[in-house]
Amino acid sequence: MENKKEKSGFLSLIGGDKIILLVAIVLVFALFTILNKNYLTWTNMVNLMIAASLVGLVAVGHTYLIIAGQNDLSPGALAAFSGTLAALLLSKGLNIAVAILIVLAGGVLVGLFNAWMVNSIKLEAFIATLVTQNVMRGFAYIICDGKPVSISDKAYLAIGKLRFLTIPLSVWLMIIAFAVFGFILARTKFGRSVYAIGGSKEAARLAGLNPRRIIATCFIIIGVLTSIGGIVFSSRMNSGQPAANVNLEFDAITAVILGGVSFAGGVGDMLGTVLGVILIQAFNTGLIMVNVSTFWQYVARGALLLFALTSDYIRKQRREKELLEASMKNIK
Amino acid sequence: MSSVLEFKGISKYFPGVKALDDINFKAYGGEVLAFLGENGAGKSTLLKVLNGDYQPTKGEYWLNGEQKHFSSPHEAIEEGISIIYQERQILLELSVAENIYLGRMPANGLGVIDTRKANRMAAEIIKDFGLPIQPTTKVKDLSIAYQQMVEIMKAYSRENLKVICFDEPTASLSDAEIDALFAVIRKLKSEGKIIIYVSHRMAEIQEIADKVAIFKDGRYVDTVTVGEVTEAEMIRMMVGRDLGDIFADLKRNDKIGDVLLEVKGVSSDYVKDNSFVLHKGEVLGFSGLVGAGRTELMRAIIGADPMKSGEVILEGKKIVNRSPKEAMDNGIVLVPEDRKLQGILSNLSVAGNINIALMDKHSNGLGVISVKQETEAADKGIRDFKIKTPSPDKKIVELSGGNQQKCIVARGIATNPKVLILDEPTKGIDVGAKSEFYNMICEFAREGLGVILISSEMPEVIGLSDRILVMKSLRIVGEVSREDATEDRLLSLGMMGDE
Repeated sequence: MENKKEKSGFLSLIGGDKIILLVAIVLVFALFTILNKNYLTWTNMVNLMIAASLVGLVAVGHTYLIIAGQNDLSPGALAAFSGTLAALLLSKGLNIAVAILIVLAGGVLVGLFNAWMVNSIKLEAFIATLVTQNVMRGFAYIICDGKPVSISDKAYLAIGKLRFLTIPLSVWLMIIAFAVFGFILARTKFGRSVYAIGGSKEAARLAGLNPRRIIATCFIIIGVLTSIGGIVFSSRMNSGQPAANVNLEFDAITAVILGGVSFAGGVGDMLGTVLGVILIQAFNTGLIMVNVSTFWQYVARGALLLFALTSDYIRKQRREKELLEASMKNIK
Repeated sequence: MSSVLEFKGISKYFPGVKALDDINFKAYGGEVLAFLGENGAGKSTLLKVLNGDYQPTKGEYWLNGEQKHFSSPHEAIEEGISIIYQERQILLELSVAENIYLGRMPANGLGVIDTRKANRMAAEIIKDFGLPIQPTTKVKDLSIAYQQMVEIMKAYSRENLKVICFDEPTASLSDAEIDALFAVIRKLKSEGKIIIYVSHRMAEIQEIADKVAIFKDGRYVDTVTVGEVTEAEMIRMMVGRDLGDIFADLKRNDKIGDVLLEVKGVSSDYVKDNSFVLHKGEVLGFSGLVGAGRTELMRAIIGADPMKSGEVILEGKKIVNRSPKEAMDNGIVLVPEDRKLQGILSNLSVAGNINIALMDKHSNGLGVISVKQETEAADKGIRDFKIKTPSPDKKIVELSGGNQQKCIVARGIATNPKVLILDEPTKGIDVGAKSEFYNMICEFAREGLGVILISSEMPEVIGLSDRILVMKSLRIVGEVSREDATEDRLLSLGMMGDE
């Protein structure tokens, strides 16, 4: 084939959108460093990565779901539920491994429940997972009677404090999730299937795939990753907090869309999500460090999501235009 | 002064298709201008550009010396351009008068609707048209033909109506109803309207049209005057070469083998109690009107829709297909009708599309796909099916419609099927690619595959099939052998169920 003269190596991996994203990240770092010289320090960067790790784990799941044409609004509530449940089980004297397994099984069940609503009662994922969001937040309060549950199990508390090569475990977990799920998405049958159903579920089914199973798997992935995130978070906080992690899904979805995954489905990759997570956490941490009030932080996050959605729209328009031009070249 | 509608260099591109390519011609008032062309020739697209449903990629159109641009069908209607579609665009629960004056019912100073006045005005138009219906009747109580008349009256009721287009208006009308429609069209013609009439049916065009604009593959060929040019010549202009020759040149399979597939009493939510057999090396055509249940029968057979009763026997063994995947594993593959939504996987490359059913074969135990194996298989598909693509890594949506379709056929054939079901395989692809598909179908049959061919293009079914089954109202109603197959015979079976 003689067409291999397209951009090679690093550039083709990165692509135009990723360069824009990198520039945005640099700008955000520069801006906040100017406003607060403590921003660009090693300690702050580590804290930034710790803060990013929960969003990052959930964003990995959202990358799969949104490429598959789905969505999930329940992670915030599930993370809080998971942390609270873990704390509660430990306080009842359960073995740490058993407690963690039970919490992860909870993540699987929530994923299955979301998938059931989408697959079997044909609900839009947006609405279906809104149900789960409320139900799980409710359960988070119910199991602990509304009060945070403190954790004294040494081994469990170590999860949030352990470091390898000066980098905390929670950050390693995020990095591993990015790498493993990035590879699965790019190189395996399952990853290919996720892209395929994102274009048209029916076409994928007629081509021999099983969209229901693929969707269910995606929901289970995000459920388990969220539960892991909830465990790490509660360990860091020394307690299970039923009111925690509100808006977690909001940040994760913003990151994923910023990273180039399209709400139209079928488009995007994990590297984009990595950059999106860095960008959104750099932004959120920056807002805190320059003392923007909590109320205005909400407005700023909304503005960032609007920005992400607008760029998604513009990218989509551009893809369509490029597609039209490219296809015209292939027709006499 | 008579009206003139002029198209100047109109082009409309979609990914993979030049739906319209530099269209230039004029239509005059007081004439019925028929649009003639095969499916996908661009007739309907041109109407949609004219009424603002689509925006042209290039070019412009002028009405009576004024350049027009509509950003929606609503604007076009306001300016006196109406299209009467095959599917009714009226509100069944409203009365005839309410439909005619929809959105502009006469009202008093307070904005209260004056139904009586509307009924009176509607009654006048109905009288003008000489129809035996009441302004107060609910539209759902009218026959389809009269519902269509209501639509025409709705367009007519606008004083500034200049252009009225009919898109396959007779598709579901009886002969008497067609006569009534033609009477109305003649009336509009005598009033100097520009009338555009899109139809496949040659006899109708001969009867009602004054001139015929011929389209082929998105291009305007010529306008001819009815009576000056023979039907055969028109068909040649629209097809580009003699279809008869294409079919005559095919190397058909002359050794039809044993029974390959037996379908017994298959019913689903969409079809009722259908049985047929397919032999090795046979091309079995399925004819019938749109909605007769041909696609739905195939979907039931391959498990795309749940089969409620009946059995499928392949090579003497009963098989159960609960999903298209199981059908594929059993050796039955479907190339679906709607290429865009059901055929291509729009986000994947050409290679990804060809190989999607072979991922198991091309991956290791961990599910990691081997790029090398996949590229090799894709290259083979591209070679075997002469798919025109710059590379296997190109996104499939960048290819032309015909080449996209070849990818989907390649995908199916890669699974080594025994039965290949092709649902409208040549819809919207150009004549050159069509003849490639015809050769391909014959080759599949010669290799011993059983081929089921669903097609709404009569010459195609007749030219390719060894036997033709006709469906009507969700059932197979007749079988016609290759020797006895004529368009009339298939049409009358498809419409009446028997001769």
